[in-house]
Amino acid sequence: MGLLNFTRDPVPEAVSGDMHNLIQLSAQQFSALTEVLFRFLTEPKEVERFLTQLSDFATMNKISLGPLKNIVKSILLVPNGALKRNLSSEQVRADFIALGLSEEKASYFAEQWKVNSPTLTRLAVGQTLMINQLIDMEWKFGVTAGSSELEKVGSIFLQLKLVIKKGSQLENVYVELTLPQFYSFLHEMERVKTSLESFS
Amino acid sequence: MAALRDGDFGALQILLKAPSKDAVRQLCQECFSSPPAALGPLAQRACPGLAVSAQEAEQLVSALHNLTRHVVYRGFNRAEDILGLFPESFHQNLKNLLTKIILENVSTWRNEAQASQISLPRLVDLDWRVDIKTSSDSIARMAVPTCLLQLKIQEDAALCGNNPVVSALTVELSKETLDTMLEGLGRIRDQLSAVANK
Repeated sequence: MGLLNFTRDPVPEAVSGDMHNLIQLSAQQFSALTEVLFRFLTEPKEVERFLTQLSDFATMNKISLGPLKNIVKSILLVPNGALKRNLSSEQVRADFIALGLSEEKASYFAEQWKVNSPTLTRLAVGQTLMINQLIDMEWKFGVTAGSSELEKVGSIFLQLKLVIKKGSQLENVYVELTLPQFYSFLHEMERVKTSLESFS
Repeated sequence: MAALRDGDFGALQILLKAPSKDAVRQLCQECFSSPPAALGPLAQRACPGLAVSAQEAEQLVSALHNLTRHVVYRGFNRAEDILGLFPESFHQNLKNLLTKIILENVSTWRNEAQASQISLPRLVDLDWRVDIKTSSDSIARMAVPTCLLQLKIQEDAALCGNNPVVSALTVELSKETLDTMLEGLGRIRDQLSAVANK
């Protein structure tokens, strides 16, 4: 096997055998299986659904579930590696052929890869580590009418509740701002936006 | 906030023993700014300068604290309002001096009271930085800008006395989150304008 695009590590032995077994699937069956795979890749949290759909596929096409799962595991190696390395559909196609998949099926999969890759890339970027990610912001503002030290006040206050993700837990942070601080905050955030936009 | 008590004006006349007008001015400022718990030590410090007993110093300091805080509480900014507080029998010159000193300071004192009023933790500083994420364990190459925002938050001043606790919180925002936040801030600004224009 020549150099593969999607990985630098040696590929497990079983993969060749699994790719070869896909010859038994018709173009239509391969297309249905590919659909199930991409639906899972674009919604990786739906594990239950994925397993159910695989099981249904196995039943409908009279294939044993065990071997099917192994085949699927092998197939998924390629899109996972391709996503990490920003591979083009050409490179994905080449890798499948190198692994032993027929040209027709490899081209079909590569085509589906091209169609789905924007979504998949966005997902991968979204999974990138974020420190203390800001999830939500709630606010209220009002007027301080009086206090124990000042009978009549009439000053405006703004209270923000920031919901922050610390590790796997959510934490609420409460902050109060005066009016000048609010305008200053707004001004700074607009500067950040300009900066972010210039880099997009 | 302590209210003016009956004995207060009697105690204030102890100021007639003060060495100078500046000493009176200084004492007024210290008595206003001091929280009730710190009045004892303040009285002890004032004692020698006034040549009075410890007990008299305490009564004086307490009375000055009550008077200055009362004026600020009511929001008096005219001489007549302050003069009106003193009883008929009060020493005229001292009354005028005290009124003058209080009038000079009332706006600063008001700001001081407002700055130290109870509140949620306050935002005292804001810094930010924009980073470009170039790589991660899930994607080898990318160019995703992200914003790190550092908020310096001070706990309630009243709880910390002279050593306010300031904590720094660093928060990360994606471009989408920032856009949503700006939308929210824009709405706050519009609502504030609507309230201001009523």
